[in-house]
Amino acid sequence: MGAQGMLEGLPEVLVILAKIFAITLPLLGVVAYLTFAERKIIGYMQVRLGPNRVGPRGWLQPIADALKLLTKEIILPSASSRFLFLLAPVLAIAPALAAWAVVPFADGMVLASVDAGVLYVLAMSSVGVYGVILAGWAANSRYAFLGAMRSAAQMISYEIAMGFALVGVLMAAGSLNLEKIVLAQQGGVLSWFWLPLAPLFVVYFVAGVAETNRAPFDVAEGESELVAGFHVEYSGMGFAVFFLAEYANMVLIAALTAVMFLGGWLSPFEGLPAEVLGVPVLGPVLGPGLHWLAAKTSLLLLLFLWLRATFPRYRYDQIMRLGWKVFIPVSLLWIVVLGLAITTRVAPWLD
Amino acid sequence: MTPVVLFYLFAGILVFAGLMVVTVRNPVHAALFLVLAFFTSAAVWMLLEAEFLSLALVLVYVGAVMVLFLFVVMMLDVQGAPLRQGFIRYLPVGALVAGVAALELYLVVGSDRLFGSQAFPLPQRAGAAYSNTQEIGAVLYTKYVYPFEIAAVILLVAIVAAIALSLRRRGDARSQRPGDQVRVRREDRVRLVAMPAEKGE
Amino acid sequence: MVPLTHYLVLGAVLFVLGLAGIFLNRKNVLILLMSIELMLLAVNTNFVAFSHFLGDTAGQVFVFFVLTVAAAESAIGLAILVVLFRSRHTIDVQDLDRLKG
Repeated sequence: MGAQGMLEGLPEVLVILAKIFAITLPLLGVVAYLTFAERKIIGYMQVRLGPNRVGPRGWLQPIADALKLLTKEIILPSASSRFLFLLAPVLAIAPALAAWAVVPFADGMVLASVDAGVLYVLAMSSVGVYGVILAGWAANSRYAFLGAMRSAAQMISYEIAMGFALVGVLMAAGSLNLEKIVLAQQGGVLSWFWLPLAPLFVVYFVAGVAETNRAPFDVAEGESELVAGFHVEYSGMGFAVFFLAEYANMVLIAALTAVMFLGGWLSPFEGLPAEVLGVPVLGPVLGPGLHWLAAKTSLLLLLFLWLRATFPRYRYDQIMRLGWKVFIPVSLLWIVVLGLAITTRVAPWLD
Repeated sequence: MTPVVLFYLFAGILVFAGLMVVTVRNPVHAALFLVLAFFTSAAVWMLLEAEFLSLALVLVYVGAVMVLFLFVVMMLDVQGAPLRQGFIRYLPVGALVAGVAALELYLVVGSDRLFGSQAFPLPQRAGAAYSNTQEIGAVLYTKYVYPFEIAAVILLVAIVAAIALSLRRRGDARSQRPGDQVRVRREDRVRLVAMPAEKGE
Repeated sequence: MVPLTHYLVLGAVLFVLGLAGIFLNRKNVLILLMSIELMLLAVNTNFVAFSHFLGDTAGQVFVFFVLTVAAAESAIGLAILVVLFRSRHTIDVQDLDRLKG
């Protein structure tokens, strides 16, 4: 009995709350250190050192940043719409955290294994645009408004391509439940959906980069033209929350890509004999588990940072053209191909 | 017990949001209250075990249609004040019509004989294995497949119509033609001129 | 548990609010469109409630179609509004009294 029995004795709500904390707190830690990783990794890519003053090798930098932002004054522009101005950062971060409710971390390790999981994720990510629009509008500033309009248009456009990519995933998996989508990818690296759904994988990930307004799609906050885009008027904690939301969205997109295209918690060495999996340390490492999801997510996050260090910013009309004239036709075409493959049972992994 | 409390909470927010949509002065605020109304009624639908439609409502209305509304409201820069003239003037007739409609509706839907718990007993709560999405999909793609396709065509027509209506060719806008840029050859850009070297003194 | 009548009354209240909105905001086309959305939402709530209490999915399928058509309606409505604003510089219903574009 022990801990398990005590947990069952508690009211259900408390257990759920505890689970939410168990997901959110590590997530915020990951987000904090992602900012550090970004500065460090991009630093190395550009042959610099990156932050290295606070703590050993700079490891306390995120904490210093957080303290600095916490102690800064929160400035409310005098002509702003005060309530909406304060509401906007909350609306930006809440969906990014709420979407984690349906993400499966390992077999059975999910807050809510709902049957419409993919729909829920899509719905939540579509709500995130309000934080951006409201921030731009409530600040009553030209720069902020232009940035908000740009990023809102960008987010809605790329949501369509993203949705179509997900349609492909749910066709291949035959379920909207993220847990079942992972289980449908069993059978080693070649059975993961990145291979049969390769174009959708690329579309989804790149649309995810655009959806989070990250470089090279960061026209919303293009420093050289719009100062800082929609959150130009925010300071202190308001800015910090937007910052957190952006990184939380990055982690979310990376984790979802890992779950839907890279087999989630499944191990790439699936099909190993039981003797190998029985070896004390090596077995659990090679077997399926949370660490594989973490590894895949980290890899995709590295890709996010790599993209930022490598590519120059797209021009706004180029972004729109890429979204509407390239990604949507490509994903539509692949859905047709996929439908044919499923009905004729060509591919062995789509039966 | 909890669903009952939740229902009244959501219903309260929903009615409040609806009231604000029609009375608030600023159109942006009205649109935002409408967003709140959609979100809350998605929650109410969730209580009715219509999870697919509830999420679709959030996805389609909150995520797309209302963003479009906000875009238009913000971009058109309409002054709220002159458009509000006549609010007081129309208040009596509006209240009268609304009151009569409310009374009529209440006489029908509020009657226990027609829609009370006798006529419509509480349904069984669906078990964990019930999938609302699957259920809707099963009828949508079989029994209602033609309406479904007509709906798809309507959406397509709407896309085309919306683009055709609002497309405006601007004479002063400049854009690149990437195709031409890629196809350009050396001869188009560079002219090699043979010049005899100038002799100095 | 909540009986059907309460859902229906909720739908009725929303519908009446939308109706009142059309009367109160006779000038602003945007708010008129929003009021129509509110009324459609009320109708959809009724459909979902009946579908739940009758155990029949047909109601939900119908809501699906209503959502589709309403989305198309508001997209075209807003496009017309934008064109209108471009040529008239107003969205006041009473100023829209000419047939000439």
